[in-house]
Amino acid sequence: MTLELGVVLDPALPPATMAALAQRAEEAGLDMVVTNPGDLDPWTTATWLLGSTKSIPIGVALAPVATPDPRDPEAGYPSVAGRARDSLDLLAGARLITDPSAWTLAPADPSPADLERAAAANLPVVVPASTEAEVDRLARLLIEHRGPRPTGPRRTSSVRAKRLPGIAYDEVPASLAETAVEPGDPAYRTVRSTYLRGGRPGLVLRPTTPPQVADALAFADRHRHLPLGIRSGGHGVSGRSTNNGGLVIDVGGMNTIEVLDTATRRVRIGPGATWKQVAAALDPYGWALGSGDYGGVGVGGLATAGGIGYLSRKHGLTIDHLVAVEMVLADGSIVRADREENPDLFWGVRGAGANLGVVTAFEFEVYEVAEVGSAQLTLVVPDIEEALLRFGEMAAEAPRDTTVFLVTGRPRPEGSVIQLYGLVDSPDPEVIVERLTPFASLGALVQQQVILAHYTDVMNQAHDIGPDGHHGHGEPHARSGLIPGLTSEFARDAAQLLRTGDVYFFQLRTMGGAIADVDPTATAFAHRNAAFQITAMGGGTEALDTAWSLVQPHLEGLYLSFETTRSPERVADAFPPATLTRLRELKQRFDPTNLFRDNFNIDLSEMNR
Amino acid sequence: MTDYGHDLLFGTFVTPSAQSPQKVVDLAVTADRAGLDLVTFQDHPYQPAFLDTWTLISYAAARTSRVHLAGNVHSLPLRPPAMLARAVASLDRLSDGRIELGIGAGAFWDGIEAMGGRRLTAAQGVTALREAIGIIREVWDVSTRGGIHLDGEFYQVDGAKRGPEPAHDVPIWVGSYKPKMLELTGAYADGWLPTLEYIEGGLDSVPGINGRIDEAAAAAGRSPGDVRRLLNLMNVSFQPTSRALLNGPVDQWVEDLAGLVLEYGFSTFLIGGDDPAVAERFAAEVAPQVRELVARER
Repeated sequence: MTLELGVVLDPALPPATMAALAQRAEEAGLDMVVTNPGDLDPWTTATWLLGSTKSIPIGVALAPVATPDPRDPEAGYPSVAGRARDSLDLLAGARLITDPSAWTLAPADPSPADLERAAAANLPVVVPASTEAEVDRLARLLIEHRGPRPTGPRRTSSVRAKRLPGIAYDEVPASLAETAVEPGDPAYRTVRSTYLRGGRPGLVLRPTTPPQVADALAFADRHRHLPLGIRSGGHGVSGRSTNNGGLVIDVGGMNTIEVLDTATRRVRIGPGATWKQVAAALDPYGWALGSGDYGGVGVGGLATAGGIGYLSRKHGLTIDHLVAVEMVLADGSIVRADREENPDLFWGVRGAGANLGVVTAFEFEVYEVAEVGSAQLTLVVPDIEEALLRFGEMAAEAPRDTTVFLVTGRPRPEGSVIQLYGLVDSPDPEVIVERLTPFASLGALVQQQVILAHYTDVMNQAHDIGPDGHHGHGEPHARSGLIPGLTSEFARDAAQLLRTGDVYFFQLRTMGGAIADVDPTATAFAHRNAAFQITAMGGGTEALDTAWSLVQPHLEGLYLSFETTRSPERVADAFPPATLTRLRELKQRFDPTNLFRDNFNIDLSEMNR
Repeated sequence: MTDYGHDLLFGTFVTPSAQSPQKVVDLAVTADRAGLDLVTFQDHPYQPAFLDTWTLISYAAARTSRVHLAGNVHSLPLRPPAMLARAVASLDRLSDGRIELGIGAGAFWDGIEAMGGRRLTAAQGVTALREAIGIIREVWDVSTRGGIHLDGEFYQVDGAKRGPEPAHDVPIWVGSYKPKMLELTGAYADGWLPTLEYIEGGLDSVPGINGRIDEAAAAAGRSPGDVRRLLNLMNVSFQPTSRALLNGPVDQWVEDLAGLVLEYGFSTFLIGGDDPAVAERFAAEVAPQVRELVARER
């Protein structure tokens, strides 16, 4: 039997004595301090005791906040109480226990038999104490009578009750136990979901160093029967970074950004940094590194898939500026990959990284970017087919300094609303206006904003993820495709797709330019001749797939980051045959047992057949 | 020239950012170690980027030993007055008499409503705050027999128990700007706590405001000296050359603050900016010289 032992503090004690006894209990290795605050406000007293200690759980019986009544000067607001609870977890760690059924009381000065009787409930046993000698005596009793204990923070039985079958919670590696989050933990709500998707993983491990990532992978290796998600920023549309009932390895805490060499503009970035943070860190140097179109996206997911963004036509994909990675492989080994060392792995990481390992640091050589023109135009167009066709011509023929993306949705009776998001990599207002003018003629301009800005300002439009995490709900359905050119046939069929009304978000990301300068065999992202990346999001899989089939004949490949379907054929769409063959060889070498299997899995059985 | 003769207090006005909770607590610890008198925290319960201010104050009180702490100012619509009074008194007991109370009628009504709070007009807010101050004082008053009764326009209590009693006589400071609220401050509060940057007309309008508070105090049978005048100053910095009020070298800070004491009647200065280095210099270099200069001039 595992005995957990704590103290109950008498409300009549002077406050300084109460704090001293709580600290003594903590130092002596007791498991819990319960306060019975008497006349004093319980929340305030518990918070003050948490501030007086560092790691020991504090218990206080708290009644749930009732329905608010503004006329009642005693009635608190549940919304404020909820924020208070979140704040306390941020300040003190999740140490407050408010459910009095989570502990059991033994008499003062207990005999071993008293303790045994109380401990039969399999709850922490608390004993009244009002002197340091009494606390010390309890600590001695605990040492004499405690059984084996699990590593990591103490979890009450009510927390443990929410554990899922099939996960060895008590065997979480010691290096991760402190920060691991399970469904009953207060922090669970901040880690379960991603930007667009609700999730209910059974356990979230949060390594912050490569050896901890290796520990997490060893734990995942013993849980092959469960889904495994790897999360950096948790923005991913494809939805691979949370799951239901499985494990998530969240490397969001590895988010440092460091300049290694100003001469070559070499920077080292952790996978958990967001592109907003990266842009802000590079801006003082006059540098930038193109990412996608939203600053809240994490580095890890994007920089192992491609990175089609506002600077891609001038500077190429994000992965085209990657010069080295450090990663942890399926067997726990920590390796570096660049053009000289592990060059095959380095090739594979740039487009198919999710199949090969967990990158713990990226090294990029970034470029100088002065002020840019940042534009958002909203237009109403009577004929979406014609507008798509004309947009396709303008966007593809624009100079490389100009990248414009188009977003539209269901057509309305008065026409389609299209939004154009663009960047002109020039500090010259005349050039910016000249470049954007043709786009403004696509329809009736209803809203426009064009500003001279730094790349960091463009990324800065995203919200910070914040300590509260993501709170996506439901399950988005998205399809991705690449087209070599925007033909009149494509415009016709895309307009038809929009007219089904089953697609509420339809985006064209303009590619070409510097993306196509790179040899298709140079990276595992091989679709170098694509002119546009197309994303469609719809309410249900079936309706979306039916609508999507209208444009399917035009597609040559897809981009992993915007595809939610899990059918194995999608892997062949993402990687052309020669690339896929090479990736299978890499998979055989670096992940032969297929630990990394839930993010567009490169299936070895195909090769072995 | 108005100087109410209060002893001088120096402190900080801290943003309770949830992004870096440890840094916020460290700002309180810095103020404590540096020997400042007060550390105060904004209270915007509807602002998700902020920590819950009462929880933060309770936690910070345990991490400090000398400095006094207060909300600056608590948002009455989301801090029910009896509940707030009991919490303040409890923490005052736990912290050995280091808690003060700043309160305001509420602002940012959309945010208040979104949290389930009650939207009031400016005039209603004055009445609600007057009732609230009454309730708070009743809760703290354990020497009167019987429960608390109030059939107010905005609050109703029927026989609520009194207590706990605070460890010291906790002052109630009111954040107010408009005439009716200033009159309430003069008639009922222990202090006026505005933010300089929010005072319409800036310092030039302060003598008029002081007059209004003084008149209201007198009308209520109190002395103007019963109402301490506190001031939040958001934009402050140490600079090699003089740029603006509290934006310049130490000597200029000293003169600026002494002027605010002797000519405008302020006696408590709470600086914003959340910069521990500025707070340390404020405590070590500015505060003693201001005290000395003011003592000479008084």
